[in-house]
Amino acid sequence: MTARFAIATREELWVHGRLAERRLSHGEARDDEQGIVATDARDDALVSTCDRRMDELRDAVRPDLRLRLVAEARLDGVTSTITASLGRHSLVTDAVHLDEDVALLRRAALESEAEVRPLPILWRNGSAAVLLHEAAGHPAEHGLPPLALPAWLQLENPLTLRRASFRDVPLRRMTNLVVRAADAPFALPEARLEVLLVDGGGYEPLTDVVTLRVAAADLVEGDTTRRVAPFTLTRARGDFRFLGAAGEPLRYPGVICSREGQELVVGSHAPLLVTA
Amino acid sequence: MIYRKRGAVARWEHGTLIRVTESGVAIEEGDLFTCHPEGGEEALAVPPPPKPDIEAERVIVSRGIAHHQSGDRAWSEETRRFHAALVHGRLRALVDDEADVGPVAEALRRAGAEREAPSRLRLAPGVTAALVPSLAGIAPPNVRLLQTAGGVDGYGNEIVEAEGEWPNWYRPSYRVRPVRMPHNLRLECDVTEIDERRPRAIALLAPVEGLTLRVLVEEGARVYPCTVRVTHIDAVSNERRWYPYGAGSFGAEMML
Repeated sequence: MTARFAIATREELWVHGRLAERRLSHGEARDDEQGIVATDARDDALVSTCDRRMDELRDAVRPDLRLRLVAEARLDGVTSTITASLGRHSLVTDAVHLDEDVALLRRAALESEAEVRPLPILWRNGSAAVLLHEAAGHPAEHGLPPLALPAWLQLENPLTLRRASFRDVPLRRMTNLVVRAADAPFALPEARLEVLLVDGGGYEPLTDVVTLRVAAADLVEGDTTRRVAPFTLTRARGDFRFLGAAGEPLRYPGVICSREGQELVVGSHAPLLVTA
Repeated sequence: MIYRKRGAVARWEHGTLIRVTESGVAIEEGDLFTCHPEGGEEALAVPPPPKPDIEAERVIVSRGIAHHQSGDRAWSEETRRFHAALVHGRLRALVDDEADVGPVAEALRRAGAEREAPSRLRLAPGVTAALVPSLAGIAPPNVRLLQTAGGVDGYGNEIVEAEGEWPNWYRPSYRVRPVRMPHNLRLECDVTEIDERRPRAIALLAPVEGLTLRVLVEEGARVYPCTVRVTHIDAVSNERRWYPYGAGSFGAEMML
């Protein structure tokens, strides 16, 4: 029996309200006795599904943003994503959350007023999911030992074989990472950094080091809040100390995860989390 | 402007052989770029490369064939690509020429602790080739960065000898809008003699970041990782090897 993978993708790039690029891609891959045979065969049903989704996505076009709209239909489901960019920052969202996420982008664009310095970090807006994506999710993909977490912090991180397109070899990848807190301690340090938006990150399996590029964060000291310049956090994954958490998991504006050149959307949810 | 491409690639990746055939069209109308698959013609096929027998974190070996048409110009090309990430302890060496795998793997096994970069150093061609694209616009005054004539660009125009201004367009896929950039870059220096007594950086340990290189250095019996900041180039050999970095670059022994 040969497994069949089929996909169709519509993609449009809108720059300040004008269509700049439009792509259609489709194809299928089948396993055979030698490996994988892939062609750009068209599945009309999948293409029609993409067309309908793209018609809906175009409502997201805004005159002051750069927006990449992607409607993707596979045999096992359909996804619609919007990558919104403003200045140096971008995030991945959907039509339902576009306006609230763009508001976050606009807040991220504020000028910095203070120097970043080593302090406990409050991960806001579900951004702790990015930390756990790098510190626990990728090591799991590599088959490495799990990250030691306190009993009050749970991680759901189902892995499955995924591929970005019919041209790619499937890899064991994350799908939807959810961090939950139960009976967790929670005390806000008087002085802290509050992370609002993370541009990207990485995990190096050879050194066990996590790198996170923080795009927007505030320095909070008592009643004073000042924006700090974007900074990079580089640390061995075992060196993060989890001090407390509060609330239900918040949806972090999606993570586009790139590994082996294959970019995939990974759902990301986490409560407020305090680390040191 | 209408561009068409038919192609086939056979690629070993993570021990799996994948054979891909596809064809597509790209259209540029004013500022708008559109592309879509375009079936109809007989699919191409390419014989797969031999299965790589290399112990590595990552090995990708591919062979490809492509027929292109842009306006009334048509051309074909065949490609062979190799990439391996060799690992020893906390070090990862990046190799893009199969001939380099043996020497780099052997040196990597002997690698000791991190050291300061030597003040005078040779770079192997594979290291130089990765560095060359970063030198565009900032090459030191005693060297010249040149586009090498030969082949055709993404619009089917001849790639011409050029320096400073880059008249050709790079189109790695029909799905990508062409970008103007230098092709088949080479570095020339009045001094071409290489002092083979100098320590030699034989492989990259990380992708090039601007003018900073993380490299594996062989110095007599010693092998060690270090970080090099390229500030001055003493000499560049005339013997060159082509590498698939950017729109192509030529590596040559270089002295810093």
